[in-house]
Amino acid sequence: MSTVVGSPAPVAGPGAPGRARRRARWIALAVGVVAAGLVVLLATRPSAGSTEAASPLLGKPAPAVAGTTVTGAPLSLSSYRGRWVLLDFFASWCPPCQQEQPELVTFAWRHRGPSGVAVVGVAYDDSSAQAAAFLRSTGATWPALADPGDRIAVDYGVRGPPEAFLVAPDGIVVAHLVGPVTDAQLEQLLARAQAAAP
Amino acid sequence: MRRAGWIALAVVVAVSLAIGARPGTDRRTPAQRVAAIEADLRCPSCEGLSVADSSAPAAVAIRGIVTQQVAAGRSDAQVERFLASRYGDAILLRPPTSGIGAVVWLVPVVAVAGALVGLGGLFWRRRRLAAPGAPSVEDRRLVEDALAGRTVAPDQGGPGATPVTARAPHAGEGPC
Repeated sequence: MSTVVGSPAPVAGPGAPGRARRRARWIALAVGVVAAGLVVLLATRPSAGSTEAASPLLGKPAPAVAGTTVTGAPLSLSSYRGRWVLLDFFASWCPPCQQEQPELVTFAWRHRGPSGVAVVGVAYDDSSAQAAAFLRSTGATWPALADPGDRIAVDYGVRGPPEAFLVAPDGIVVAHLVGPVTDAQLEQLLARAQAAAP
Repeated sequence: MRRAGWIALAVVVAVSLAIGARPGTDRRTPAQRVAAIEADLRCPSCEGLSVADSSAPAAVAIRGIVTQQVAAGRSDAQVERFLASRYGDAILLRPPTSGIGAVVWLVPVVAVAGALVGLGGLFWRRRRLAAPGAPSVEDRRLVEDALAGRTVAPDQGGPGATPVTARAPHAGEGPC
């Protein structure tokens, strides 16, 4: 056995193990409280909202859209030239679309009228009957195009609903929104786009 | 003669590459072309799947567009360009050969070319070092000194004297 020569090792006092155990208990409690708080926060907060996303179409003329609405009427995007248009890709089976629908209804109601913002829906991977029933049940009064084969969706580079494009009165795409939108978000976006418009 | 062989080999490789890279007549059927384009496109709404392999609505829709455009007589590049103009270059599984995507293609070529040049330089240097060159002035002087040391002066030993070398023994040399 060799003896270590040098400064003596600190000798723990009689209450040291108890103090260490108490401290460990407090630390564990603090970690537990933080973890529980995070779980509650993440479980109760609303799902992620809409975000403005990049698109090769931004700043370019909106691809031509023409067809038949889900109620069977002819419709062309070019007939809205001179007005702001919110082109909304939705589906009756999509929960985020159901979530955003009341917000869209509020926004469309506030901007109703021949010179207001026109909301035009495009049914994504949905039957005309189901899309029409969905719009009717949520109080939406705007027209929605049927999109067999999702040709219009591909033309706009849509990955999945809900996605929306804000088109300026001159027909240029100025914003691309991915995810469920809120009324406030749309108002903010519109105000910004109108301020930037020539 | 040896150099001529290398040059002939380089010519054969260059000609073969030129012939291989020449755009030939496309003998594929429209269905084969559609399948090839779909395999080169990334499904925009899924992770790590091509449009050909995915059953997501977006992939199904893109397959419809590809079929329609091939039937309309558009080339593979035109179809891919159209989809890239809607979804961005990220939809292409093979990066484009222009713009920033070209870097992906250029880096391996530059790396291989750099490696070849480096190897060539290394071999050339080794060969040059290994080759017997003309003796320098210093070499000549050393040889002359060594030869002069072999000649023993008559007043230092006479006939039968042991030849003396100019080189001093290294440390550790000598009888065991």
